[in-house]
Amino acid sequence: MISLFGTLDMAANSLSVQQEEMTITGQNLANVNNTAYADEQLDVSESAPVETAAGDEGTGIQVNAITESRNPLLDSQIQAETSTTGSLTAQQTNLQNAEAYLDEQITSTSSSDVPDSPNGLAAGLSNLFNSFQSLSTNTGDNPNGLSLRQAAVQSAQDVAAQFNQVSTQLSTVQSNLNTDVKNDVASSNQDLNTIATLNEQIVAAEAGGGTADQLVDQREQTLENLAGLANFSTTAEANGAINVSIGGVTMVSGGVAADQLETYDPGNGQLQVQAQNAGTQITLTGGSIAGEITARDGALASLQSGLNTLASQLITQVNSIYSPGYDLNGDTGQDLFTGTGAANMGVNSNVVNDPSQFQAAGVPGAAGDNKVVLALAALGNQQLAGLNNQTISSNYAQTVSDLGNAISSVTDKLNTSQAVSQMLSNDRAATSGVSLDGEMTNLIQYQKAYEASAEMITTLNEMLQTVVAMKTT
Amino acid sequence: MQVSTTSFSNNFLYQIGQLQSQQTTLQGEASSGLSVTLPEDNPGVMNQVLNLQSEASSGAQYQNNIAQIQTSADSASDALNNLQSLVEQAGEIATESNGVDSSTQLSSYASQVGELINQALQIANTQNSQGNYIFGGTANGSAPFSATTDASGNVAAVTYSGNASVAESEIAPGLTVSAQSPGENNTGSGPEGVFADSRTGADLFSHLIALQQDLQSGNTTAISSTDAPNLTKDEDNVVTQISGNAVLQSTLTTAGNITQQQVTSENSQMSNDTSANMAQTLTQLSQTQTAYQAALESGTMIMGLSLMEFLS
Repeated sequence: MISLFGTLDMAANSLSVQQEEMTITGQNLANVNNTAYADEQLDVSESAPVETAAGDEGTGIQVNAITESRNPLLDSQIQAETSTTGSLTAQQTNLQNAEAYLDEQITSTSSSDVPDSPNGLAAGLSNLFNSFQSLSTNTGDNPNGLSLRQAAVQSAQDVAAQFNQVSTQLSTVQSNLNTDVKNDVASSNQDLNTIATLNEQIVAAEAGGGTADQLVDQREQTLENLAGLANFSTTAEANGAINVSIGGVTMVSGGVAADQLETYDPGNGQLQVQAQNAGTQITLTGGSIAGEITARDGALASLQSGLNTLASQLITQVNSIYSPGYDLNGDTGQDLFTGTGAANMGVNSNVVNDPSQFQAAGVPGAAGDNKVVLALAALGNQQLAGLNNQTISSNYAQTVSDLGNAISSVTDKLNTSQAVSQMLSNDRAATSGVSLDGEMTNLIQYQKAYEASAEMITTLNEMLQTVVAMKTT
Repeated sequence: MQVSTTSFSNNFLYQIGQLQSQQTTLQGEASSGLSVTLPEDNPGVMNQVLNLQSEASSGAQYQNNIAQIQTSADSASDALNNLQSLVEQAGEIATESNGVDSSTQLSSYASQVGELINQALQIANTQNSQGNYIFGGTANGSAPFSATTDASGNVAAVTYSGNASVAESEIAPGLTVSAQSPGENNTGSGPEGVFADSRTGADLFSHLIALQQDLQSGNTTAISSTDAPNLTKDEDNVVTQISGNAVLQSTLTTAGNITQQQVTSENSQMSNDTSANMAQTLTQLSQTQTAYQAALESGTMIMGLSLMEFLS
């Protein structure tokens, strides 16, 4: 049978355990709003019994460990989904910037107004061919004819300026994406270093049988931050470390940052990512870096290429019709458009300075001849082989629509990814999150247990006094 | 399942974020009346609208072209009708001179023909409202007909400095017309000349000058045998031109009506494609606002509650 002193020890131990439970509850309550924090519990069990003649007698409670409710599978799923969300967000943001620069926005100033897109290239191209049509009705050397020539030249300048502007803005978006890739690679390397350092600290802390929950929480937060930048895979080691691989290259091995990401220029100015030490090109499929590269080399490159092809075709086709024409002075052989693509498209300065040099006629010395400008006007309705048998306007509409499809697709995927992330976060919160109500219930429970143990000690104290009094009397 | 404190607030934020986003979209639709404004809203509709916009803009331009050609055609019509009247008068003089022996009377007729020649010259050098000479072909920057006179001041010859080409303009996709007619066309091909054409035998100025000279010389035989038939050819030629002008005017009217219908249809299609269903939009907006309000109220109510409140 356990002595009174033994029972007193058991009550004192119980007090200590309840106090520790209160400490854990306090820790949980303190981190109630910390999303990276995993709810902690005190793992307790009945302490080893003592054999007596009447049988085994309990010796109270003992603390085994402090554990946290972390689910590695959920953490891994959240990391993967964070990568997906990061990639899609980067794509959506940059493609929407490009969409804004195209300035194809349908407006309607009043209910009686026909909705249209008045500011973009679509309207500019219509104006260009309409100005050719107008000029075809009067190419004469008279005030009206000259003003129509001036209007045609101005429309050509407007279209060239619109192509230049959109091209420059899209190039800026692509250049900014290169900068973003560089910055995100730097942030990823910082995270990889942090993970390696935390691995080292966790291994050291747990080597002696202790726990490093706080460090594990920090590492999880860093891993999720890294996931937003680049997708990776992890393997857990028995000593508590987590190894991180990106694109098949080990970046963190235990407490060592084995490799780092770096950007390199493959020759076209569009930065790609490789492993610094391994020298292996890394093709990321998730995270903002992947999103930035996908947007830059995908929809944005297609948009830029589509606009370039359109501008190039416009320049070539117009000039091939225009060049053999004659101006009011009987001169011929000049081009209307200069340049080769959207970026450097311009209008011949001679005709800009003197619209009478607009080569509208098919023959010299006939001011009223409009064969060339009539052919220019008809070009607007022609399906061109260089534009997949589309007209200039319909090809541009298709280019705009393609960008819209790309954004719409990314937005749909992003909405799904965000919903999945939310669902996974809820799942994790259900197992790892801190519940205020739950902790308050625990608080009462531990308080009552503490009071009971204290009462036990009080009772034992009285019993001991009684025993001592028996001897003195 | 345990509901953590953060999961509730996270869910709450996610839900009101979704509702706010829906409200913004619906409010935008309600205020603009448009369900599609950006390419990403509906790429297919945007593609269609840009194509319709281009077609409607071309249609409006065709209407401008038609109006412009109509003005020139009206000028040509007036000139041709005056010319027909003039040729008829010359024909009447040729007829009336038949059997007249009086040199005074014949001289008087010759003077009248001289005036008709001058009037015909004026008609031949008619300019439209833009300042182009309508019977100069495409060399229409200067007066196409010029006269040389003899010692008596009579027109001895009329020279044509225009050409036999005309400028056409598009009034519908692939359909071109011209309100111009060349003053002369002796090439045997292309548009018929108004004053002279080798295919019809018309040569109005030469024929009027010959008539005047025959009247002055009293050669009534030549007048009846040559001048009068020639003037008939000239009149037939002018009548043909007037008919052509009428056909042109009819074509312009028809093309204008068709283009107007097409533009109206295209505009209507654009409105249909992009217009928001206001009843639906406003109903959805109202529903979303209600849901948003309910979410806010219930959320704040629940977040204010915890076991801690009751314990304290």
